[in-house]
Amino acid sequence: MRNKNWKQICLFLLPALLLYAVFFIYPLFYVFITSFTQWNGIGSMKFIGFKNFTDLFANETFRISLKNNFIWSFALGFIQIPLATIMALVLARKPKGWKVYRTVFFLPNVISQVALAMMWTAIYNADGGILNSLLSAVGLESLTRNWLGDMGTALGAVIVQQLFYIGYFMVVILASRMGISESYYEAAEIDGANVWQQEIHISLPNILPILITSVTLAMAYGMRHFESTFLMTNGGPAHATSVLGIMLYQNLGALKYGVGNAIGATLIVLGGVLIMTIRWLLNKKSQKMMG
Amino acid sequence: MIKTKSQIAVDIIAKIGKWLFIAFFLLMTLVPIIWLIITSFKSNLEYETEPLGLPKVWQWSNYAKALNMSGLPRLFLNSVIVAVCTTALNLIVSAMGGFALAREKFKAREPILSLLLAGVLIPIIAFMVPYFSIATKLKLYDSLLILIIVYAAINIPVSLFLIYGFMSDIPKELEEAAVIDGCSFSQRFTRVVFPLTKPGLVTAGTLVFIYCWNEFTYAMLLTSSVKSRTLQLGIRFFKGQFVVDYTSMLAAIVLTMIPTIFVYIFLHDKIISGMTAGAVKG
Repeated sequence: MRNKNWKQICLFLLPALLLYAVFFIYPLFYVFITSFTQWNGIGSMKFIGFKNFTDLFANETFRISLKNNFIWSFALGFIQIPLATIMALVLARKPKGWKVYRTVFFLPNVISQVALAMMWTAIYNADGGILNSLLSAVGLESLTRNWLGDMGTALGAVIVQQLFYIGYFMVVILASRMGISESYYEAAEIDGANVWQQEIHISLPNILPILITSVTLAMAYGMRHFESTFLMTNGGPAHATSVLGIMLYQNLGALKYGVGNAIGATLIVLGGVLIMTIRWLLNKKSQKMMG
Repeated sequence: MIKTKSQIAVDIIAKIGKWLFIAFFLLMTLVPIIWLIITSFKSNLEYETEPLGLPKVWQWSNYAKALNMSGLPRLFLNSVIVAVCTTALNLIVSAMGGFALAREKFKAREPILSLLLAGVLIPIIAFMVPYFSIATKLKLYDSLLILIIVYAAINIPVSLFLIYGFMSDIPKELEEAAVIDGCSFSQRFTRVVFPLTKPGLVTAGTLVFIYCWNEFTYAMLLTSSVKSRTLQLGIRFFKGQFVVDYTSMLAAIVLTMIPTIFVYIFLHDKIISGMTAGAVKG
């Protein structure tokens, strides 16, 4: 049966669907179709099959970028999320001042990546940067270096700067943990379970769905990473910190639209595959855990 | 319950560990920001020779120089225009769509909902080339309008999801009463559902506003001249403008952080609860 308000329904949905069609669906087709072409954006497109992709996978910089994207994904998913989880479990027991800590930890999420990147660039700066100054002050002068210019430390320096901003995921996990009824913990307490046992047997199973979502999201962010690397190192030194987003931007600048979109398509497909694989693996594991 | 000695020892270690953990993250979050603020008050000589101490004389002039040199007022105005217009456009579009999806039943409802929500999974960063070409084709390249449209569109999945959730929770009886009183379809939206969704709209609006204020990548890609340059993009050019005056540049960065931190101080409960509402339901 047709809804009698169907005309108005269409009218109300139209603006959202129109914007969605132009800025999500059209670009998706655009990226995938042009990724099989050689095209500078102005002239005619030349269909070249999978050449963009085979060229990319043969390209050293592309392989480094791809590897760095995976490093980002795993660092965020398997270091940042566990840290955020521990913090959420700690704060859920309401230590003195926990609301203040929650507010502080979330603060970096409202500051722009540009401001944070420039702040951290100043921190890592070889001369006058606080990191080198602190190291010298405690007698570790031998460790001082140009953190973002050194092949060995640049990638780590950019990742660490993001890794400890656990606020967003901590807040999400904390909300899920606070949703568990206190009576479970009281009952466990009476049965003699210590805090550690309570967290393992009550908290973890209950927050598991949110943990899986968080790990998946964090890994997806790792694949999409662009801004702070672009602002701090622009992929350097010698592509040591490059990621796919940086390569995409550089190809756009060089008017290699076909190659750029091949990178974009790789990003979308790999991101999707990664999300689905991780979800599937974690769900399977959690089912085993829950018996 | 009586605890043994070893249990007490474990408890003490756990307590110390807990506070060390909290302290570490407080330091990691706050020390860089505090250092930035302190350094922005130093002279350039002090920055190089005394990087750790407090400034001997607090150089308020750094802030005056930052305001004069960076063109900050213009950048600020552009960012306000973009953020306010985007938030309004995004909320109207998402609320209308959310209303139709949450308060009516029709065949295409589920597929449309899934389609819109799937947008959350798409890495927007992959759309650099198409967005650039859409902007040129619409002859809107290098304008504030294209930023407003693009930002409003990008945020539809998240906003619509949040607003849809709030609208679904409104009891059916309120609308039925309004229909008996003679409310039309659009009046049900403007007079009943929209006002009742206020908390959801505030949360979604705050998130969109902060997104717009902080967005960098597409501001860089879709604009080129000063007339449509936003604050975040402007900061990027500070390096060139403050070649010999590093600490004034840091002062300019502090100035750009103030608005969102200010909003956050007043609305942090709303922001945090909104983020979790969306995430936990998902």
